[in-house]
Amino acid sequence: MTDPTIAAQADSGGSYVTALEHADGGGTGKKGKPRSLWSDAWGDLRRRPLFIIASVIILFLIVVAVFPEWFTSADPNHRDLSRSRQTPSSDALFGYDVQGQDIFARAVYGTRWSLLVGVGAAVFTVVIGAVIGLLAGYFGGAVDGFLSRVAEVFFGLPFVLGAIIILNAFRSSGVDSAFALVMMVVFALSLLSWPVAMRIMRSAAISAKQQDYVKAARALGASAWRIIFRHMLPNCLAPILVYATILLGSFIAVEATLSFLGIGLRDPAVSWGVMISDARNYIRVAPHLLLFPAGILTITVLAFVMLGDAVRDALDPKLR
Amino acid sequence: MRRPRWMAAVVMPVATALVITSCGGDDSGDGDGAGGAGNNKNDTGTVSVFGTEPENPLVPGNTTETGGGKIVDAMFTGLVDYDPVTSEPRNAHAEDIAVSDDGKEMTFKLKDGWTFHDGTPVKAKNYVDAWNYTAYGPNGQQGASFFMQVAGFDQVNLPDPDGAEGPKPAPTPPAKEMSGLEVIDDLTFKVTFSAPHPIFRVKLGYPTYSPLPDSFFADPAKFEETPVGNGPWKFVSRVPGQEVLVERFDEYKGDDKGKVKNVKFSFPESADAAYAMVVDNKLDFLDTMPPSALAGNIWQTDLEGRSSSAEILSLQSMSFPLYDPKYKSVDFRQAISMAINREEITKTIFEGNRKPATGYASSKVPGWEPGACGELCEFNAEEAKKLFDKSGFTGTVEITSNADGGHKEWVDAACGQITNTLGVACKFVPVQSFGEIREKINAREMTQIYRSGWLADYPLVENFLNPIYRTGGSSNDNGYSNPAVDAKLAEADSAASEEEAYALYHEAETMIAQDMPAIPLWDNPSQFGWSTNLKNVRMTPDRELDLSYVEIA
Repeated sequence: MTDPTIAAQADSGGSYVTALEHADGGGTGKKGKPRSLWSDAWGDLRRRPLFIIASVIILFLIVVAVFPEWFTSADPNHRDLSRSRQTPSSDALFGYDVQGQDIFARAVYGTRWSLLVGVGAAVFTVVIGAVIGLLAGYFGGAVDGFLSRVAEVFFGLPFVLGAIIILNAFRSSGVDSAFALVMMVVFALSLLSWPVAMRIMRSAAISAKQQDYVKAARALGASAWRIIFRHMLPNCLAPILVYATILLGSFIAVEATLSFLGIGLRDPAVSWGVMISDARNYIRVAPHLLLFPAGILTITVLAFVMLGDAVRDALDPKLR
Repeated sequence: MRRPRWMAAVVMPVATALVITSCGGDDSGDGDGAGGAGNNKNDTGTVSVFGTEPENPLVPGNTTETGGGKIVDAMFTGLVDYDPVTSEPRNAHAEDIAVSDDGKEMTFKLKDGWTFHDGTPVKAKNYVDAWNYTAYGPNGQQGASFFMQVAGFDQVNLPDPDGAEGPKPAPTPPAKEMSGLEVIDDLTFKVTFSAPHPIFRVKLGYPTYSPLPDSFFADPAKFEETPVGNGPWKFVSRVPGQEVLVERFDEYKGDDKGKVKNVKFSFPESADAAYAMVVDNKLDFLDTMPPSALAGNIWQTDLEGRSSSAEILSLQSMSFPLYDPKYKSVDFRQAISMAINREEITKTIFEGNRKPATGYASSKVPGWEPGACGELCEFNAEEAKKLFDKSGFTGTVEITSNADGGHKEWVDAACGQITNTLGVACKFVPVQSFGEIREKINAREMTQIYRSGWLADYPLVENFLNPIYRTGGSSNDNGYSNPAVDAKLAEADSAASEEEAYALYHEAETMIAQDMPAIPLWDNPSQFGWSTNLKNVRMTPDRELDLSYVEIA
């Protein structure tokens, strides 16, 4: 270990092996042993520039969402009409809105709400859809018939109309904390989108049910719950995960749509959608009010959709 | 009394630097006077005007809502009318109005040669009979209380013992005619008031004070079918629920004679439908833009070059529900008023299309003296903060309004100023519809400061004060009561001269401002649009199309 060159060689060799092991699935795989779907996918993903770009953007957004104060020192809610609609300057990177609020600061603080809605709604949708889909797929028969019909009822509701009705019903209920507002939108979005996740999960469960390892487990006397959670869930996860990633991006956009219509988020949960909604009347006189939040929204949605595409390609090569 | 309306009306920040074609300065088309007669289209054409189905038959004394009001306005001309631009009261059928020195008597000399649409002359008797009919309790006319100040009113109109809604009818009054009305000759009559009331003159342009022809008293039912007026427009036909058609009365002697042949008041099912019709040129005039058209200022693009905004007799304010103990402190109310920078909001949010208020009436009201609110309506951060600290208010200042009317922007801006100045949290609480808010206000269940807008009936400051700030006033929603203010208003009502009355109203306003039951904010204009068929379009301060000015293009 006194010879630096040898040490360096050993190190680089070592790291090479570690990376390989990592690619083999958390270092458990040995050479020659077949790699799992997940490690295979990870190995595939790491080499995709699309995935790397998307991940960097998303990681950055997460950091912004959690620690907005690292990125701006301005108070996003401080109003000052004397600087109403001022264009970008060194004081305010994105300029000021109608109320004289710093657009950059608002966009930074708004990241949290936009992401929260996207992540929350995607998680809820997947959880509801996956559970119901698994049950329907595994048990089949009358259970499947019943659950599928329920799903079809929800599937039949036009999305925006349904969201307007649900959010309107809860709007005057006196909800006014930011978190409660977010939960309301999350609830409305997941209630209307879970049927798709359920269908994906159900078809995956039906095909997994026919697999030998499931039959073997059943022959060995494993309980239904054990089979569902130990054997089927891990093997049905790939398609729904792909769906969830893409969904996340589109939910962020849907939240903006609903907020634009005035029924999504509102003060104090100021998301990008709310900013766009506030700015719409001033598009001709002060386009920067709308363009900045809209641009950020577009980039974010794009990042999630890119990530979803990459994950799908990796997990489900058939679709490529 | 015609209940002046709390305005649901909608204000929308005007985004583009719109040039308000204020009617005042534009006299270019006015000078040619008879020039309209040479225009063939005017002689045959019809102007269709947006309206709503009249609540009652078209009898002026019984018409107190806007739908019938604008038709009755066109069909009748009283002693006085209002200048369509300045809303200054001017003599119409009255040749001369003489007030006795003590202000208790008013003598009207009528212009000779005026006739009703059926050819019978308009005499002093027609006024006196009409007024007696309207005031007589058992006739159940809605405009009865407009004659409250005339001597003998208490003998013809007795109060209902269990209120208007109660089961018992009002007792039959002892007299059928007011002792204060006296016909002197065919063209002269005299009114005696129970207390001096020279300001009466200013109210006289209101249609309730119109004369009625003899045929009305002979057969009221027939009159209701085919009303006969004495105004610039003659009744032609009415299709219930759809339209009322009137035509120009060629023998009309007044100054506000029409230039076009026919005017049709149409009643589309909604303002939205009416708006679409104006866009398609199927309806010629709409006096109020529906919220859907105001959103995003669509009306300005849809009706480019044929829409405008005009000042009307209306004031935007913020009211405190005084029955809520949170708002008991005068210091707090004054602090909020002084924390709002009206100048800045009207300049930025409204692009200079509003005028900051300096008192409790619209600047369109003649005889009104601005400045009653004084320093209390001016932005003063230090003083506001001092008052606020003294008031001991804790918690969040909440301001509510209907969200569908585009009020969010200015409430947000006001909230920002309140927070910056007073260091207290402030937020806008949107409520879905105006009706929802009115319900809560009427039930006295408000817990937040709320937006209030007022549209007056006639251009008199009294109409901005008595109904809202007098104890028991018909629209005194907040339970505001100050005996000193009541006394001052009563004193103003019975002042010996108009000038004195105006001065006393001003004093009353000053006293109200000290209590600050509501914060005056700014004048509230109304947006209107017209079809390509029209030219010379302008709106009067009481939100009607100026029918004497409009022409067919």
